[in-house]
Amino acid sequence: MTALYSLQGVTKKYGPNTVLNDVSFEIGENEVVGLLGDNGAGKSTLVKIMSGVVQADAGEFTWGGSTIDRMSRETTERLGVETIFQDSALVPFMTITRNIFMGREITNRLGFMKMKQMDAITADVLDSVVTIEGIKSPKQLVASLSGGQAQAVAIARAVHFKRSLLILDEPTSALAVRATEALLAYLTQLKSEGVSSVLVTHNLHHAYQVCDRHIVMNHGRKILDVRREDTSVEELTAAVVEGAEGIRRYREGRH
Amino acid sequence: MATEAITTQRRISDARQSSGLFGRVRHELQFVRGRGALEISVVLIVLLAGYTIAGLVSPEGFAFLNPNNLSGVVSQAVPVLAILGLAAGILMIAGEFDLSLGANITLSAIVFIKTAEGAGLWAAIAAAIVCGMVVALVNGLIVVYTRIPSFIATLGMSFFWMGAGIFLNGTTPATLTSSRDDLMVFLFAQDFGFFRSQLVWLLIIGVLAWFFVHRHRLGNHLFAVGGNPAAAEAISINPKRVKLMSFAIFGGLVGFASILIAVRTSSMQPGGSATEDFTLFAIAAAVVGGTSLMGGRGSVTGIVVGAALIELIRNGLLLAKAPGFYITLFVGVTIVIAAIFNKLMEGKAR
Ligand SMILES: Nc1ncnc2c1ncn2[C@@H]1O[C@H](COP(=O)(O)OP(=O)(O)OP(=O)(O)O)[C@@H](O)[C@H]1O
Ligand SMILES: [Mg+2]
Repeated sequence: MTALYSLQGVTKKYGPNTVLNDVSFEIGENEVVGLLGDNGAGKSTLVKIMSGVVQADAGEFTWGGSTIDRMSRETTERLGVETIFQDSALVPFMTITRNIFMGREITNRLGFMKMKQMDAITADVLDSVVTIEGIKSPKQLVASLSGGQAQAVAIARAVHFKRSLLILDEPTSALAVRATEALLAYLTQLKSEGVSSVLVTHNLHHAYQVCDRHIVMNHGRKILDVRREDTSVEELTAAVVEGAEGIRRYREGRH
Repeated sequence: MATEAITTQRRISDARQSSGLFGRVRHELQFVRGRGALEISVVLIVLLAGYTIAGLVSPEGFAFLNPNNLSGVVSQAVPVLAILGLAAGILMIAGEFDLSLGANITLSAIVFIKTAEGAGLWAAIAAAIVCGMVVALVNGLIVVYTRIPSFIATLGMSFFWMGAGIFLNGTTPATLTSSRDDLMVFLFAQDFGFFRSQLVWLLIIGVLAWFFVHRHRLGNHLFAVGGNPAAAEAISINPKRVKLMSFAIFGGLVGFASILIAVRTSSMQPGGSATEDFTLFAIAAAVVGGTSLMGGRGSVTGIVVGAALIELIRNGLLLAKAPGFYITLFVGVTIVIAAIFNKLMEGKAR
């Protein structure tokens, strides 16, 4: 089976710091991949590179078997990749509708926006995956929303525009239990719609619950890449907390 | 697409559900609060009412209602400042400033006058607008590609453009003579009794600007780039391109305003300071109208009302025969109060 999206030898330096060091992995068709690791391990940087917002210093990217010549946000958008960024990437003093359709407005041929249509779709999208209490109107400014409500807007935007791959960088950090459960269930449902996803989270139980495969990052390196059947929450915990040493000790302990 | 599935029970209320016109207006206002256009309009109406009463009580002492005064303020001073305010405001929404506005007016007006004298009216109109745009685009390129704060870059460039005016025309004023014919006056400075050509231009430009800023895709990008450039970029809006576009629009509007100024005054002094006031007054109109100094917020209606408010205060002080420095003083205070007010409104929306 050819992978949907594959990364080979991705390296990224910020000044003298090597934030990503020769990272390679694949995301399969209809697969939910967990991207795990301690704070500062390089997960968000990897997410930004995968979504074309940040350029890697080295690395090769292939999509459905063919090489991507130039990585950029335009390229990934064309491929149907949508990302929920950790810092949510919303504009506070714009309405919910305008945030959701920012850069992808529904317009007539002259470029004027169809506000009513966009408001109606926004109202539907906001209710479709995670239903959050307290959002009164698509015309509300994002600045007036709570942290969780804003996160729901970011989720709704990505969900609405994704076509082949949904990348979620700590999407549940501000969500309450019910909304979190709904989002996790949605990732499983996505597989049946032919959409893969990458989930970055610090909650290993959540990751274990929905991900088919787990990738653990440690100081910019990939230290573990296992299918769910071949691992456990305990091993993932050891890998995230203690790194490669933790994996070794965990595996020795089991023999 | 799953997200377009019909939701049987939509929880997020639609404006249409609110009853009647009043309910709908209130519903809308609930979410646009914090933009400032409404509050500033109330201030303007109160001020207008006060002036009208003062004018009725003492037509001699406070000649506000005198037709000459009315048409001079309402259809001459306000339109020019409002168009310049829109220029500055659109740029501010995108998160930038251009402090060479005054120098741009001088240069574009000189270009207009010289072209009109040499090649006729239509060429002159085009030349002035193109000149304004080129000046602003050069500033924009410097700001966007060097990442120098636009305050500094355009302040520096304003001396350059002032010099360019002298380079073009020497130190003598450029003057409209034979080319200032009936058609030119009709188009840009005609007094029709209770309104002048300038007011018509403001209406046209105001409506176009409103549709562009608040209803066009590119207007939406202005707010996105000014409000959170990183977010805009993450969604594949190119901030550089949007900023350059806003500089170009700024320049086009400044070039056009310079025509209105040139036709009314018939001459322009290269290197002169006559146009310098416009720079800060235009920014003041935008700020008074609720435009954020940090970018990402502002409205066309607010800016036009802001310009009207400033010109009315200026006119009131003039009519009350206040010494010149009072005007500067009052406008200064107005800007600071407006900026504080904007800040408070932003706090309220959070
Ligand atoms: N723009 C940047 N400039 C310089 N250093 C950066 C930049 N972005 C990230 N880094 C550094 O790269 C490293 C990895 O950051 P990254 O955000 O990818 O971590 P993370 O795994 O997402 O952490 P967290 O779980 O806390 O979100 C950190 O040490 C961080 O300081
Ligand atoms: Mg992160």
